[in-house]
Amino acid sequence: MIVVTGASKGLGRAICERLIEKNIEVFGLARNVEDVPFSSMSCDVSSYESVRVVAQHLKKRAVKVTGLVNAAGIASMNLAVTTPQSVAQKIINTNLLGTIYCCQLIAPLMLRNKHGSIINFSTIAVVLGLKGESIYAASKAGVEGFTRSFAREMADFNVKVNCIAPGPIDTSLLKGITAEQINKIVSQQIIRKQFKPDSVADLVELLIDGRSDSLSGQVLHVGGA
Amino acid sequence: MNTQNSIVNTVFSQIQHLLDDKSRSVTEDMPLIGGESVLDSMKLVELCLALEDTAAEIGFEFDWTSDATMSRSRSMFRTAGSLAAEFISQMETKK
Repeated sequence: MIVVTGASKGLGRAICERLIEKNIEVFGLARNVEDVPFSSMSCDVSSYESVRVVAQHLKKRAVKVTGLVNAAGIASMNLAVTTPQSVAQKIINTNLLGTIYCCQLIAPLMLRNKHGSIINFSTIAVVLGLKGESIYAASKAGVEGFTRSFAREMADFNVKVNCIAPGPIDTSLLKGITAEQINKIVSQQIIRKQFKPDSVADLVELLIDGRSDSLSGQVLHVGGA
Repeated sequence: MNTQNSIVNTVFSQIQHLLDDKSRSVTEDMPLIGGESVLDSMKLVELCLALEDTAAEIGFEFDWTSDATMSRSRSMFRTAGSLAAEFISQMETKK
């Protein structure tokens, strides 16, 4: 079973749908799972206790968890000096701490099997240093650093940990960003085109697949950076 | 009391099983974390998984991920004795 956070919409939802299409069992996590048409559970990843309840639920069900996709994330495009403290806190709590909590609590379910793949999410904004995304980029830079170290910690248990860093993918996260702004970011990618959620799902599929066993601690930039 | 002693022995024997020096005996005050720890971090995780199995055989769920059990100052991993005490405490509460 693959556990996917942020499963109710955007990239997380697209990833779940792709995995289900490939007959891979998925367990989706999201704050609101009312409209999620597959196996799921409500979870606020920014709350350690909420994630712990999910981990205990999975442990009790004795399901074999072989993967974790940390797709839950929020963004607020704004200059750091005009971003309210509460928003900055929420971004760090969800993007960085949410990823850490899920790794801390779901990874132990994979250690026993000595097999697994964890996929975290960063952003192209980290390497490009995009204006107006400093707090978002900071949270994701933290995810990249965490991924590299955590990959080493998990290596003895044959659990791979990698990170996907997309550019501006066509999802609800881009709400409020103009086409001009998107084009400006896309023009800085090596492959200068805006990718769809499907391209990210392709990478997730690859990283979950046994054929990518040689990859761990890596950041894969969608579109290249 | 006998049950408690037997659980302490089980926990200690699981620790001993993971020691590099098998001739060394496990004592109450043997540190499991920190600079003088007898186990590296990977062995500590293996110990937790083994204790999960033991707990399942006895009939309760051993939790090593809660905030309280992981807190350094109150950590159950301070010593072999504190780990055995935590294991017994969880057994008595949850069983």
